[in-house]
Amino acid sequence: MNDYLKNIFRFLLFLLIQVFVLNRVELRWWSQPTGFPLFVPYLYPLFILLLPIETPVWALLLIGFFTGITVDSFSNTAGMHACATVMIAYLRTNVLNALLPKALEDYPDQSPGVKNMGWVPFLAYALFLFLIHHAVFFLIELWTFNNMGVLLLKIVASTITSMLLVLIYLLLFTKEAR
Amino acid sequence: MRNFLLFVRRFFNLILFLFLEAICFVLLARTNSIQGNDVMSSANTFVGIVYKKQADVAYYFNLREMNDSLFNENLRLRSLLSATKTVDTLKDSTASLPFTEIDSTHIVHYADYVFREAHVINNSVIAENNFITIDRGSNQGIQKNMAVISGCGIVGEVVHVSGNFSSILSVLNVKRKVSAKLKDGTTGFVSWENNDPNMLVLDDIPGEKKVYRNDSVFTTNYSLFPADVLIGTVWKRKINKKTNQQILFLRSATNFRNLQYVYVVEDKMKKEKTDLEATHKDGK
Repeated sequence: MNDYLKNIFRFLLFLLIQVFVLNRVELRWWSQPTGFPLFVPYLYPLFILLLPIETPVWALLLIGFFTGITVDSFSNTAGMHACATVMIAYLRTNVLNALLPKALEDYPDQSPGVKNMGWVPFLAYALFLFLIHHAVFFLIELWTFNNMGVLLLKIVASTITSMLLVLIYLLLFTKEAR
Repeated sequence: MRNFLLFVRRFFNLILFLFLEAICFVLLARTNSIQGNDVMSSANTFVGIVYKKQADVAYYFNLREMNDSLFNENLRLRSLLSATKTVDTLKDSTASLPFTEIDSTHIVHYADYVFREAHVINNSVIAENNFITIDRGSNQGIQKNMAVISGCGIVGEVVHVSGNFSSILSVLNVKRKVSAKLKDGTTGFVSWENNDPNMLVLDDIPGEKKVYRNDSVFTTNYSLFPADVLIGTVWKRKINKKTNQQILFLRSATNFRNLQYVYVVEDKMKKEKTDLEATHKDGK
């Protein structure tokens, strides 16, 4: 399939899953009346992570901004998702540079994935960027350092849940080389 | 000039990054101001249409709950009607005389409300500030800052309006408080502690006031909501030792999780009231 079509399709898929499924799921790890804060896992940053390796940074930034603004419009949080997504779009190239054994130009027409990176580096890549995304997002959402505990709990819990979803996505969509 | 261009070319990515982040923060800052922004909200037409399509599908599955809640509301309204219409001969003290028999010159006509029904097409209860999208907009006469109530209790305030959709800041937000009163008229403020969509918090009640479990809490005349709309019932109470004031935890009257339809309330006297208050402010 054409790379552009594939990415547009992936964008729509992640957006639909995010808006219609994940945004409606209220997760809480254990149910005390006033214990653990409610949170939502965010899967759509994976779209940015899976863009072709050669994508220039300015294109990544613009795509990230557009993705964030779209999610923002659906959840009435003008700017919050956009801010976090632009942040990870900016950091993506550096993280890839650090994790990939060869230079980025040596991977023509490929997306970052388990096949060309290996499981551990890809999961490290996803974990790092998801952690940054969630930290920025929840920090902007709370906009205070008053309840640090709640903030950290939200970031950690949401990141772990998002990573589980990323893992499920990888298991579903990684073709085994035979 | 050449150096400047070289500089821009060298740091183009960083400049673009900072520029986009700046746009994000401008958007963020504008949502907190009064005028808000209608484009990046679920009131915008595209998002509204997508949510409407989704709600049309999901609508069917909630018909049973919706029927029950409408039935309960009818019951409540009927009992209210019968209380004002008939004279109970057993209790014919002055206090229980029907309201309609009071001399018309004594009725203070302070508010005139128009109710419009609307169907909820999107809803959230998890974020810090939760928004509800409804399928009515400025074409149907909805304006900003109108109060929104449901059959059971208060819901929120209209913040973004487009042609056919509007979004409501629900009571489940950390920005605005609602003034509230107990049955005997003690007033306080209701806020939300952003962890449980069923629980609201009522502050500023004096410590010596006797409050019991399941006492009702209503809206007052001062807020944008009509008076005497149910907010919730007292669930548990705690005393703040420092200020000797009670903190009451309320079970919210509206079930925000499965909100199906709401009423948007237009206060026809509101403009007169705000104009009067504005002249008072200018004179100072």
